[in-house]
Amino acid sequence: MTGAAATAKQVATYCYQCVAGPDLLTVRVEDGVALAVEPNFCAAAVHPGAGRVCVKAYGLVQKTYNPHRVLSPMKRTNAKKGRDEEPGFVPISWDEAFDLIAEKLNGIRASGLLDASGYPKVAASFGGGGTPQSYMGTFPAYLAAWGPVDMGFGSGQGVKCYHSEHLYGELWHRAFTVSPDTPSCRYIISLGSNTEASGGVVGVKRHADARIRGLKRVQVEPHLSVTGACSAEWVPIRPKTDAAFLYAVIHVLLHETPRASLDLAFLKGRTASPYLVGAHGYYLRDPASAKPLVWDRVLDRPVPYDTAGAEPALEGSFTAPAIERGADGERLGDGALAGTTAFSRLVAHMSSYTPEWAAEICDVPAATMRRVANEFIAQACVGQTVEIDGMVLPFRPVAITLGKTVNNGWGGYECCWARTVAVSLVGALEVPGGTLGTTVRLNRPMSDRIGSVTPGVDGFMAYPFNPTDREHWSPRPNIRNAYRTLVPLAANGPWSQALGPTHLAWMFLDGTPEGLPAVTFPEIWFVYRTNPAISFWDTAALAEKMSRFPFIVAFAYTRDETNHMADILLPECTDLEGLQLIRIGGTKYVEQFWDEEGFALRQPVVAARGETRDFTDIATELAQRTGLLESYNSAINRGAAGLPLKTERYDFSIDVAKPHSRDEIWDAACRAASAEVTDGAASDGLDWYRTHGFRTRPFTRTDWYLYPALARQGLRFELPYQERLYRVGQELGRRLHERGMTWWDSQLSEYQALPAWKDFPGLWEKAVVAMGARAQDFPFWLVTARSMQYAWGANVGIELIHEVAANVAGHGGVVINGDTAAGLGIAEGDLVEIRTPRRATRGRAVLRQGIRPDTLLMVGQFDHWATPYARDFDVPSMNALVPLSLELTDATGSGADLVRVGLARVGARR
Amino acid sequence: MTRWAMVADLRRCVGCQTCTAACKHANGTPPGVQWRRVLDMETGHYPDVRRAFVPVGCMHCDAPPCRDVCPSTATRKRADGIVTIDYDLCIGCSYCAVACPYQARHKTDRASFAYGGGPSPAEAARFDEGRLAVATKCTFCVDRIDAGLEKGLTPGIDPEATPACVTSCIAGALHFGDVEDPASNVSRLLAENRHFRMHEELGTGPGFYYLWD
Amino acid sequence: MDRIAPWLQTNWDHRAAGNFIGGGTGSGLAIFAAASELAGGNPPRAAYVLAALFIVAGLSLVWLEIGRPWRFLHVFFNPQTSWMTREALIAPPLLIALAAAAWHGGAALAAVAALLALAFVYCQARMLRGSMGIPAWREPLIVPLALATGLAEGAGVLLALAIVAGAAPSRFVLILALLSLVARWIAWAAYCRHLARRGAPTATRQALQAIDLQVLVLGTIAPIALIAAALGFADYAGPIALAAGVLGLAAGWLIKDTILTRAAFNQGFAVPHLARLGAVGSDSSTRPGWS
Repeated sequence: MTGAAATAKQVATYCYQCVAGPDLLTVRVEDGVALAVEPNFCAAAVHPGAGRVCVKAYGLVQKTYNPHRVLSPMKRTNAKKGRDEEPGFVPISWDEAFDLIAEKLNGIRASGLLDASGYPKVAASFGGGGTPQSYMGTFPAYLAAWGPVDMGFGSGQGVKCYHSEHLYGELWHRAFTVSPDTPSCRYIISLGSNTEASGGVVGVKRHADARIRGLKRVQVEPHLSVTGACSAEWVPIRPKTDAAFLYAVIHVLLHETPRASLDLAFLKGRTASPYLVGAHGYYLRDPASAKPLVWDRVLDRPVPYDTAGAEPALEGSFTAPAIERGADGERLGDGALAGTTAFSRLVAHMSSYTPEWAAEICDVPAATMRRVANEFIAQACVGQTVEIDGMVLPFRPVAITLGKTVNNGWGGYECCWARTVAVSLVGALEVPGGTLGTTVRLNRPMSDRIGSVTPGVDGFMAYPFNPTDREHWSPRPNIRNAYRTLVPLAANGPWSQALGPTHLAWMFLDGTPEGLPAVTFPEIWFVYRTNPAISFWDTAALAEKMSRFPFIVAFAYTRDETNHMADILLPECTDLEGLQLIRIGGTKYVEQFWDEEGFALRQPVVAARGETRDFTDIATELAQRTGLLESYNSAINRGAAGLPLKTERYDFSIDVAKPHSRDEIWDAACRAASAEVTDGAASDGLDWYRTHGFRTRPFTRTDWYLYPALARQGLRFELPYQERLYRVGQELGRRLHERGMTWWDSQLSEYQALPAWKDFPGLWEKAVVAMGARAQDFPFWLVTARSMQYAWGANVGIELIHEVAANVAGHGGVVINGDTAAGLGIAEGDLVEIRTPRRATRGRAVLRQGIRPDTLLMVGQFDHWATPYARDFDVPSMNALVPLSLELTDATGSGADLVRVGLARVGARR
Repeated sequence: MTRWAMVADLRRCVGCQTCTAACKHANGTPPGVQWRRVLDMETGHYPDVRRAFVPVGCMHCDAPPCRDVCPSTATRKRADGIVTIDYDLCIGCSYCAVACPYQARHKTDRASFAYGGGPSPAEAARFDEGRLAVATKCTFCVDRIDAGLEKGLTPGIDPEATPACVTSCIAGALHFGDVEDPASNVSRLLAENRHFRMHEELGTGPGFYYLWD
Repeated sequence: MDRIAPWLQTNWDHRAAGNFIGGGTGSGLAIFAAASELAGGNPPRAAYVLAALFIVAGLSLVWLEIGRPWRFLHVFFNPQTSWMTREALIAPPLLIALAAAAWHGGAALAAVAALLALAFVYCQARMLRGSMGIPAWREPLIVPLALATGLAEGAGVLLALAIVAGAAPSRFVLILALLSLVARWIAWAAYCRHLARRGAPTATRQALQAIDLQVLVLGTIAPIALIAAALGFADYAGPIALAAGVLGLAAGWLIKDTILTRAAFNQGFAVPHLARLGAVGSDSSTRPGWS
């Protein structure tokens, strides 16, 4: 460096570029220039990742100064849209940009917020698993003030997330995502869960600590991922056969191990295992109370499940005076009915799923599965307890985790169910050491997972299913992806739109199936921190559909493939320029389990570049210009900016009648946060947070676990038998059929009380045949894997990230097994073509031994053609190949991120 | 005496390259120059394959071959074991680069910036013409160590006095400290775990230890 | 960036190779010319001039390669340990001695020049040996190889010079040249064998292997046969010796250029113990690019 800086400071802020955050950092600023990112060492004591940030945060300096940034509002001058159409963006003033947008918005307000099909005329898509909300200031308040907005045009949700886990996880144990209790876990079976790449700072730290402590992790996946590299054992499994592996594990637990090695007390008292199931597959219920019955060993007679002092039989068949109610309340039986405990049903159901059976399917030796199952149970410590913050809890240090593509799409239900059942058999669900949920996004309140545990039907936790009864089920979706109509599990909260079958919105634009109102193009589409033209599937088709959207407003960092179709580009302050306060701490995905909770500030580290504006100021201006200021301000007061500004304990609410500056709004939020964290003792505002960066209070570790909340309320985990799901599925089928809607029938088959193994890999081979090709011509599975360096951050155009990511194998092309490649005459660096019956892409061969011979791997998501810098990478993406397909959509509305492909050498090394 | 050394715990490292990026920030190295990086190594044959992540960089050897060959005495070894380069003395002959068995030395002949063309404000602020056409390498963030010591801080314990790669490591894989002090963090790690030094057979005496068991 | 297995060093390119070629050939030439003179022969004075030119050319190439050429005086700062400094220190007196030998003639000056030339080429050999990062260079037997090939190259030039000077080479020179070729082959073979035994990157061994036959046939057997012919057919000794000299010289340059560039793979990285992560099984290691 040349000379000493006139002014030098270290500015605290947060990084929430990926779902594994937020994490805390500081930036060294000299003479007003951001120079270097460093951890926030002051946060080391409260942040479970020791106040550190991952590699992505180090891209933020270049992100700020990237010469390719959009630095002024732009408007399109070429009315034609398409990949091959140059948009002709020209700079305009903010005033003109707001005029153009407000004119459209006010026109919509004048003509009605919904179109003829009943869909919102305004749509908005945000990427990054909810992380954009930590960068969009008060824009959520604007959307709340606006009214109905379609947020169901996916940019990866459903097909690239833990979709089945999100939905079933929330149902079974308030687990939007699932994590081991890593700090005390001893044994993890990880089926494709790529924690070391996707678990963020905290996940990496926790697992590293655990490895030193002696944690053994068995990594079961088709290729040797970063996580596999850090595991004790790699078990290469055939893609999409994970459910069979888990079924074999359960088989060993149920049929090859002494019953006493299971956690029988847990099964009897905290699950529905003793519930009696009738001949029609529904619980036998007490005729008087309609409560499910169990067989009381003490009285030797059936009693309602919640009878005090009862000793329920875990196994056996019994005859009891009971009723059996089916779908729509149908009375299927009444009188002396024969019933079998749910547990016995499970035992019978799993009897044929032996390791030998699974070995054929998974291409994994039966002995391996048997050994893993036995190690799992040996490490489960059934019967042991541990004291946490003065509370004695069961100690079960074993966990099973599932990765993307394992826990979504067809087979996702079976995997999630089998995982949850397997851990519950040893009582390792929601107890110290075991398998835990992280947070809730469908249940409420979102900020209080433990508080979301409330009593529901049949002794289980309440769950906000979308109704399937005749009276309340609606054939008229509120948004285009029809989540409320098709996916009861998706609930109907703020996150539900993005957790519906988001690809259906795209698919139905060119043909809505019978029974649904014709899917229309939204009149305005807001896009922020998402690039579905790269991150979704069949990207060429998706980009083409986007080109037909009539008016797109893109909050743009640089030009990209999605905003290539935009009409207006709005440059907002990026990570190091904007201002926002967010919640931190508590428990949250991916592995963020804190001993603190509170708030952190993102503050302008450097002055905003060019004419970029803070998102909050943009939102306020839009509110003013569309006559929504009062409701916008009210939404902020209610908590749309992250926390309510007025509660019973404090009042920092803003005057709803007038516009407020960014700093005024966030000063009020900071004061409210101070009051919340200190129980009203403090009211420090923005200046305090600018100096300190964050403020927290203790968060008890007992709230990491759901078990105490269930025990307190006498509730049970809804396992293993899925009577309610079965009923919901039956009812949904009836509703759809009543409307002549039969195109969702295969999805209805997922609603099984005890899911059977289906030929999941075969579904993808059938998809090849359905495309008019021969399955044998597409003999490879193409899968993807997380790139920690690139994922989520919209940082594909950042040179530093590109440089350091190149140190991690696979970033340069398509990973192929070395022997497979040799057989095809492919050498390292050769140009290869990867094709499906419909699409083809090309890339360089990266030869490795750590991948199955029948599997190809494309790390991350590339194939950019508009994003500056990234468009020169010449790295292929599977997203160009994977079709949007109803056949490959499961009942939750998700698809799995893999495809059958052919492979051929087409050129030599450069 | 003090002997500063780095300890990398291979059981912890996940190859994320956070240290690589943090080093680039801390030292303002130009594109393509990585004083610290993490190797992604694979060994074996399917299905018996292992993949390992291995941080590398200047090993600050006891008997640094780079120092011995340096004709200008630009490369020296301090009493505390840190191998330094005096950019004003270096003639850029690269003899040190071919003498180093750890491929730790770099030479950039011309100014280069992340996006071609001119420097960004951050790059302009960091640019140092004196680093062009001379050998550069990891310094163990010697400036941080010296400044920290002056303030009474302990390198390896106090972040301000510790190499940036160590303080950034999200896995807690990198450690730094005084191996001559039996009570230091690194001495304890070396005493409690099995370790090796890379290319030990060459007799360079690297000040960089790898824990493996 | 997959720089894990040894990769070709790019710090020293053909310019550096040129220094070793020029320095070795020049020194060898000076030594042979002096030897001839000391043995009562009458080598062309131009030999000393040419030797100096070779050496100066080599040093100039290096000067062009260093990053800060105007700091070249710093090269003299480390005579304690650096063979590069020592090489640089010897160069000026060597060049002076060569100039003096060329100007004045006489066995004494020739002997001084030869001794300095020997020291110079020895420094160069030790420079390579001191390059610990390059297995092909740090091999101890690179020293006799560099010396032997320097002599062989010098002999080759001297043989060629003879015909330029219009005189047939003396039997003494022919025999010395023959012996230098034999010595070089022995040094080359020993170097390769020793390197393989001690271990070297696979690519290094392949690069050396690729020229082995050329060194043997064209660089050794053929010139030896030609020299033998020159000894037997005095009438044609000039042209035959010229051919032998060119072959001997070319082989030497090929050896040096190969070792300095195509075989100059670096050490790469190795892990003698992979991390134990609870895995069953034995300790494992990896050393990519070595076999």
